[in-house]
Amino acid sequence: MELQERFTELQAQGLGIAAISYDTEEVLADFAQRRGITDVPLLSDDDSAVIRAFGIYNHVAEEGIGDNKDNAAVKADVEKYVSVFGANPMIVGTPFPGTFVVDRDGRVTSRFFEEFYRERNTAANIMLKLGAPLSGISGSTGETPHLDIAASQSNPDITVGSRFHLALDITPKPNMHVYAPGAAELGYRVIDVQLDTPDFIRALPIQYPPSESYYFEPLDERADVFMQPFQLIQEIVVGGSPEAAEQLAQIDVLTLTGRLDYQACDDKVCFNPVSVPLTWTLTVNQLDRERAR
Amino acid sequence: MKQSLSALVIGICILFFMQTSANAQDREEIDVAALGPQVGEQIPEFALPDQNGTVQTLESIMGEEGAMIVFHRSADW
Repeated sequence: MELQERFTELQAQGLGIAAISYDTEEVLADFAQRRGITDVPLLSDDDSAVIRAFGIYNHVAEEGIGDNKDNAAVKADVEKYVSVFGANPMIVGTPFPGTFVVDRDGRVTSRFFEEFYRERNTAANIMLKLGAPLSGISGSTGETPHLDIAASQSNPDITVGSRFHLALDITPKPNMHVYAPGAAELGYRVIDVQLDTPDFIRALPIQYPPSESYYFEPLDERADVFMQPFQLIQEIVVGGSPEAAEQLAQIDVLTLTGRLDYQACDDKVCFNPVSVPLTWTLTVNQLDRERAR
Repeated sequence: MKQSLSALVIGICILFFMQTSANAQDREEIDVAALGPQVGEQIPEFALPDQNGTVQTLESIMGEEGAMIVFHRSADW
């Protein structure tokens, strides 16, 4: 459980943690014992009263087994919010899954809810969005004549529906710059990541940090560039469909490959565009099928 | 008499069908982003037992900068 693994880091960021579900204390005690969860409070809301008080009770689970269960719109919502395998009385009482981050007064500062019940931000991904990134998992490093590049990833392992991120920490060499999105209109090749994604992986648009404006005297023009060390973030969503789960079930390791494309210039010369191969390796965690005794 | 009974049954069936359709049509589209407390709003109080039987509240789990409260479907399946 990622929250347990990251507990110390989250605490160091000053955040308390609780995970709430409709499970009974007995189920949670068994789960905690099996998975070695000693730090994160797993709270039992077995009558769903708190889930209802928060206004996130999943009423679709009830509709899916009620009078309207054959209605097309209900069926579509069941697939999206309850189960891709159809409604099941066991799911009644659950919340729409999501995360609230609150300040010390209990006021919401951020919230993370996904449209598809199987997709879930990892804690590391949430912390990145909160501007307090947890330590990444270091990957490969590389060097070109223009840049130093270090690849990392938010999580060592992923599962069905994980929403996580890959990162590239890039340090331009002295006097060197590469082009930021605003420079595209001037005809420069903007630094970009292209991933070769399997069907069950969705790569979201690259997240760029703020750039700086660079004056290139020989052409008397200004362009948006990166000259200081910067980070590119590639957010990834692992599919949650049965087909995606089936494909993931057949692998233990997911290797994502791609390319970093860029064009670098110094204060005198613009060099030819470059394409650097990239690789990230993630362990695939299969869904926990073990039940409480 | 038989005819009126048939008409009544058909009428009930139509009413039932209309009601069922209305229920289905009345369903509001779900927007998970709009559910529950929004940014800036207060979350409800809670007091729930943890895996060790200790009752936890927002206050008891609170960190120096705040808290992260994760709602998940189940630890059991």
